[in-house]
Amino acid sequence: MTKHNHFERVVFQPQTYQGMQRGINAIANAVRPTLGPLPRNVAITKIKPHDQLPEMLDNAGLIARRVQQIAGRDEDAGAMFIRQLLWRQHENLGDGTATTAVLFQAVYNEAIRFIVAGGNAMLIRHHLETGMRLILDQLNALTIPVNDRATITQVAESVCFDPELSEILGEIFDIMGTYAQVDIRSGRSRDITREYVGGTVFEGGFHTQLMVNDPERVRARLENPAVFLSDLEINNPEELVSLVRQALDAGHTGLVVMARAFSDPCIGVLTSASRNPQRFNALAVKTPGTGLQEQTAFLEDLAVLTGGRTFLSILADSPKNVRLDDLGSARKVWADKEFLGVIGGQGDPIQIRQHVAALKRRYENIDDDDIRKLTLKRLGKLMGGSASLFVGGLSEIDINAKKEMAEAAIGAVRGALLRGVLPGGGAALLACKPALDELAAQTTDLEERVAYQVLSRALEEPARAILANAGYDPNVYLARIAEAGPGFGIDVRAGEVVDMVQAGIFDSAGVLLEAVRGAVSSAALALTVDSLVHKPRQKIANRP
Amino acid sequence: MNDTNQIVDPVYNFAASPAFASDQIIFAARASGLYRSMDGGQSWQNAFDSLQSQEPIPASWVAVSPSFAQDQQVFAAVPGGVLRSEDGGQTWTVAMLATPTPFITALVISPNYAVDHLILAATMEDGVFRSTDGGAHWTAWNFGLFDLHIYCAVISPDFSRDQTVYLGTESGIFRSLNGGLGWREVDFSVEHAPVLSLALSPNFGQNNTLFAGTESAGLFRSGDGGQTWEKVISAEQVGSVSAVLNPKSVDVLVLGDEIILVSRDAGKFWQNWQDHLQFEDQLLCLAAPQGVESGAPLWVGLANGEIMQV
Repeated sequence: MTKHNHFERVVFQPQTYQGMQRGINAIANAVRPTLGPLPRNVAITKIKPHDQLPEMLDNAGLIARRVQQIAGRDEDAGAMFIRQLLWRQHENLGDGTATTAVLFQAVYNEAIRFIVAGGNAMLIRHHLETGMRLILDQLNALTIPVNDRATITQVAESVCFDPELSEILGEIFDIMGTYAQVDIRSGRSRDITREYVGGTVFEGGFHTQLMVNDPERVRARLENPAVFLSDLEINNPEELVSLVRQALDAGHTGLVVMARAFSDPCIGVLTSASRNPQRFNALAVKTPGTGLQEQTAFLEDLAVLTGGRTFLSILADSPKNVRLDDLGSARKVWADKEFLGVIGGQGDPIQIRQHVAALKRRYENIDDDDIRKLTLKRLGKLMGGSASLFVGGLSEIDINAKKEMAEAAIGAVRGALLRGVLPGGGAALLACKPALDELAAQTTDLEERVAYQVLSRALEEPARAILANAGYDPNVYLARIAEAGPGFGIDVRAGEVVDMVQAGIFDSAGVLLEAVRGAVSSAALALTVDSLVHKPRQKIANRP
Repeated sequence: MNDTNQIVDPVYNFAASPAFASDQIIFAARASGLYRSMDGGQSWQNAFDSLQSQEPIPASWVAVSPSFAQDQQVFAAVPGGVLRSEDGGQTWTVAMLATPTPFITALVISPNYAVDHLILAATMEDGVFRSTDGGAHWTAWNFGLFDLHIYCAVISPDFSRDQTVYLGTESGIFRSLNGGLGWREVDFSVEHAPVLSLALSPNFGQNNTLFAGTESAGLFRSGDGGQTWEKVISAEQVGSVSAVLNPKSVDVLVLGDEIILVSRDAGKFWQNWQDHLQFEDQLLCLAAPQGVESGAPLWVGLANGEIMQV
């Protein structure tokens, strides 16, 4: 290690722009071939063993994620700037990363030329953001709501290009709706199959197999039980005795006791209480969820669903304090080693409906990714069932690639159901150009005019990339599309200029709007970077 | 008013043969069993007699196949299952639903039943059960239905094209656009819930009109499939709306606590079905197999077991 590595290094213009631009272009050019229905693969070589085949990817978000660092610290700064954006888009929406990359690259490259020639980066940023809002308004006006299976299937196919998977996702989301809980699992055959499970299912099964009353399925199953909800560690058997007595006195024939842990004597109390199963059955189940936040959320949902109260360790609650009206109830509860299912919770239906409505509002408005994901999980569980998608394939690599594609398609479908769809293949973005061109022609402010022109040219780039990736001359086909009018694009598989909506070629509006918002606002921010400060190199930590 | 029969158990619903004008067959589901009349309601016989049960078998709902004239199929909801007859109600086979024992509040049969064999059973606490083999096997289908307390169900007359079914529940209204496979909540205020009765216009495929009768908020009408609603009768006028019929697009019949109202202009103006008509108990159900033209027969079932032709 040389001495100068211990100190920060400061980089000024023009090296900052030049270095960052090379890094941005490296990432954008790497993922560009994956855009469109006829994408090409990007091979990621393995570090070791050296004789292993490279990983073949056509998903821009995953490709960006695999890039941990590129050569040159100035270049790496640009690369990591766009990588972070792409990975966030992939995590949030599962799709649209290649479009985001291409738009970001076009905006940055076009605008940087003007800034290097003396333009004001801050003013350009301001006008780019104004233009972005115009584009978003235009896209919103073009959005078509999605409420039928055929369109859902088309949206899925526009992402995964797999008709079999798209058909199944079309069915799943047609049945289960926007907030469907879909568990993607490896299949045992080459096919893609699905299975529906009714009721609200949580991870976290029974505490002991002693309570199994359905030996064939290794399940414990109770009908019309009372439900005690908690995240407590129950160690004192006397506390449980009083709980069981209350349930018995109230005429319940079953009792589900949910807790984080039970002592052996407590399990003994519950198994003894079930000695005459015709009269009474008790079941000890694990508090579902991992971590305090998830457990608290799931307990809140279960309380609404079953009409019970939650007993929390953080409040020093104890089962000995339970009153009869603290217990929830359900038509059926089952548990196996891994899962807990609640069917027909007897909570107040109006409260359940209001709870679901509140969670939907939270999901649509929250910015925090973790809370958003947890909210989606909660909604999925409250929708009365879940779907398991079993993805088969020729090899583990094939299965994993298909599972990632399914994940991306699910994100796009969810976005489409929430926000609608737009004419696909870049046609929606092309349709926004005239409004920007008109604004550019009207303004006398140089920075403003340049910003709108930059955006107008950038809006062509996704269509150009799709055409080039499919082997067409973008200049020839863009002219034909412009001649055909707004909403027209190219069906690259047929090689024809078509009305994209009539041809059923869609993009998820949520994904495209987020791609535009992320690409333009991030590129506009990147343009304002004037100098770089490089910290001394540390060992590379794993980046998300 | 003709007082025809006086039996002490409540009458839950009626189902008339689609060819009632010629065959005069009508069924009444009640707490003591399923009753069948083959003379236009003049006399009633317990259709469950052939089951030779020691105890009465309560029937909470009855439905008749749309192609009854050809297939003679009748379905009766009983505790925990559905009885099916293929000979007009003379003999029965039973199909059980999953435990714990559900209480069926409505059976709806696809208008395209001869082809799709689809029947839906709505229940008081367990959501919807679906059969695609003419009632032989039933599976719970409650995806998206997070209120499983259902009071009523209606199926679109244009079902083969639109696959639409509505449910009235404790918290409002749910709709399926895929033949009962998945359910979505309809924008109907929880303040007006529960919804006890629903009726779709016979021209629903064209005018998207439906009516929702509530327990304590009156009668509502939507002209856009349930996206927006307007109140057309107040609770003070009608009480609980336990049944709505919309046999012709302009004729709407509403059964309140102790009143029958009719509208001849799709719900704008309402009047009593008959002046000075009085009932001794709460009205629970009604049937108008030949519409509501003057002289057409109209039956009502009361909580005290009375079946009246009015």
